[in-house]
Amino acid sequence: MYGNLIDALPSVLSLGNLLAVVVGVVAGICVGALPGLSATMAISVLIPFTFGMDPLVALGMMAGIYNGAMYGGSIPAVLLRIPGTPAAVATSFDGYPMAQQGRGGYALQVAVVSSALGGIASALVLMLLAPPLAKVTLLFGPTEIFWVAVFGMSAIVFLLGGDVIKGLISAAFGVFVSLVGADTISGAERYTFGHLELLDGINIVVLLVGLYALPPAIGLLEEIRDFDTENTGRLNTTSIWKAIPGMLKYWKTWVRSSIIGVFVGILPGAGGSMAAFLSYNEARRASKNPDDWGKGEPEGVAASETSNNADTAAALIPALTLGIPGTAVAAVMLGGLLIHGLQPGPMLFRDNPEIVFGFMWQFLFAAILLIFLGGALATNSFAQVLRLPRPLLGAIIISLVFIGVYSINGRMFDVYLMLGFGLIGYFMDKLKFPLPPVVLGLILGGFAEQNLRLALRIGGGNWDILASSPTAKVLIGMILLVILSPVFSRLMRARKAKRVAE
Amino acid sequence: MGFKSIAIATALILSSSMSTAALADYPEKRIDLVVGFAAGGGTDVMARTTAPFLEKYLGNDVSVVVKNMPGASGQIGVTAVAEARPDGYTIGTYNLPGAMARTLDRDADYNADSFTYLANVVNDPNVIVTPKKSDIDTMDKLVEAAKKRPGAVTVAMSSLGGDDHFFLQRLTDVTGADYTVVPFSGSAPARSALMGGHVTMGIINISEVVAFRDELNVLGIASEKRSSMADDIPTFKEQGFDLVNGALRGFVAPANLPENVRTRLLDAFQKTYDDPEFQQAMRRSGNPTELALGDDFKTLNAEQLELAKRIWETTPWK
Repeated sequence: MYGNLIDALPSVLSLGNLLAVVVGVVAGICVGALPGLSATMAISVLIPFTFGMDPLVALGMMAGIYNGAMYGGSIPAVLLRIPGTPAAVATSFDGYPMAQQGRGGYALQVAVVSSALGGIASALVLMLLAPPLAKVTLLFGPTEIFWVAVFGMSAIVFLLGGDVIKGLISAAFGVFVSLVGADTISGAERYTFGHLELLDGINIVVLLVGLYALPPAIGLLEEIRDFDTENTGRLNTTSIWKAIPGMLKYWKTWVRSSIIGVFVGILPGAGGSMAAFLSYNEARRASKNPDDWGKGEPEGVAASETSNNADTAAALIPALTLGIPGTAVAAVMLGGLLIHGLQPGPMLFRDNPEIVFGFMWQFLFAAILLIFLGGALATNSFAQVLRLPRPLLGAIIISLVFIGVYSINGRMFDVYLMLGFGLIGYFMDKLKFPLPPVVLGLILGGFAEQNLRLALRIGGGNWDILASSPTAKVLIGMILLVILSPVFSRLMRARKAKRVAE
Repeated sequence: MGFKSIAIATALILSSSMSTAALADYPEKRIDLVVGFAAGGGTDVMARTTAPFLEKYLGNDVSVVVKNMPGASGQIGVTAVAEARPDGYTIGTYNLPGAMARTLDRDADYNADSFTYLANVVNDPNVIVTPKKSDIDTMDKLVEAAKKRPGAVTVAMSSLGGDDHFFLQRLTDVTGADYTVVPFSGSAPARSALMGGHVTMGIINISEVVAFRDELNVLGIASEKRSSMADDIPTFKEQGFDLVNGALRGFVAPANLPENVRTRLLDAFQKTYDDPEFQQAMRRSGNPTELALGDDFKTLNAEQLELAKRIWETTPWK
């Protein structure tokens, strides 16, 4: 099979196919950077056009868009505290404080280098380990996936912010939103009020944009005159090549976050935002100065951005081998493959090796290109956006958000829904309710619920099934470790303090 | 009568006279082909594969533009077609038994009489599969296991109220045994749960299993004849079980389509179906084809509705 990998290289290196990747990356960065537009959407818009294209050109553009968007999302997350994509929420935790301290340029450079490294790691894993990792995916039935979701939820503790009660209310709100739509097990309609548009549940982008993009954009409008644009507009960037040596100290975070990203990628249904939350959380726990996190710690940006890109190619492992997409973007990409008569499954690798392996190379190239296109060009040009007068910037963002949300399904209903969430988000912002638990609650709430109920059906209603497989037991152990470790460390510290006092 | 109502009246007269003119030489302008699912899904690929052939056989340099209106498992798109003007410039994809099942389990804004039935082109029969490691590898063993412990056989499927669910109801009737439904969201996760051995058996469609023959046991296929996609799989009828069922995908237009427009469209669909290039494209995208044109399609739809009603009355799925 590695022979096939080399054989696929020449056609990937042809001018047209390389150009497709470049175009894809640039388009992806732009789409990611614009709040309301996401990679999923960009690729679904692209798919109809790829009907007449050469498969590798089409797939190259998709690979480029996916990688580019995962980085692009961090640009507004850092500069404006508006995550451009759901996966960039965790990037804003430390990225935005850095920008406020005048280190926005450095934050973006950390983001682009970390994104590229995560993407490269992911592409290499896809190229070299796809078949064995597909077997890992098969170990995860509904029971095991339920525990993964619970594991993800345990991260909520760290995202609650100062006020635990408010944090839990936010999380509960997220879980509530996940309930809307047809119940997947019984078919009963929940909180749809007879609206067909709500039957499939609420799209994460609608919620995210409402909560995250509208309130800050309104905030920009509230600044009637801003004389301070000069200061925030200057990002204090040095050349990216000079900045890289200083980042090498993040290598542990890069490695850890790449592994987390790849792991989340091969699990069906989880996706980049969960990868970013988990790896932010783990990096913070491993850090010597966890209290500085959330106040402008570059390593937080590195953790989040590495893993949301490490998720990309890995998400294609179950997609290509089993037909189950790891993320929403991978799901759309599967459609792109299907259009070219490429049906996922073991036969795909046998029947169309030049295309499958070529696609893998394109992922690698797209990740490498990120450093050049993202670091050198895009970061600087997007930074200029900050020089715009604030009210104008706010107005532009609001109109983009409208277009983006409308184009998800082509209906105004989603726009109204988004405005509703915007209202909620505005008040949450003013009343200091933390927003990240809402996103986590929406993503993981539905995920945990569906898989728990599937698992219980399989087990005939017997709860023993939840701890029956070795994989499930390992996961339960990990969750206990995460929950109990702060308790233990507090106990240890208390005992130590007592001894010192005595 | 205010200016507004005069304007509306004029507009109505104008548009009706325009549409009469259009009927004379159909098609004169762009045709919208509404797909109730997102771009890239099975139904979307069928529509996009068919569109260029329709353009070719309808002539007049017409363009057939696919318009995705995803949501509510296709219901939003189907409703839009039912409510469109019956002038032949809006047609849409149509999935059975889903489209008819929704008229029973939800408040649908359409019914079987809301459409002009054009052509059903895909018939994707159900198959029963078990994990490769499972010792249940024949129908007899399966029925034995299901009878020994009622409900102990767990059945993975893609959704509720779809062709796979109907098939299970029929299987329950025919074998007189009890099964536990495990509805995943989509057939790929269901298939993976099977490959991982997390469920006892699964009901999916033949097109979804051909690429995974080495990883799964296929116990039988629910068609009258063996499938050309895998002719080593015995039909259930051969094995003594009267089970014929599958997912159907085709094209409809709003009800009361003018007769000349209907004739043109049916003719174009027949020619499309007969085109070897079309057959090859459908095979490549894994769509098993079987044509039911015009009135045959209408009869097929009535049969499916009848079946759905029977199942809904005895064992409602939600």
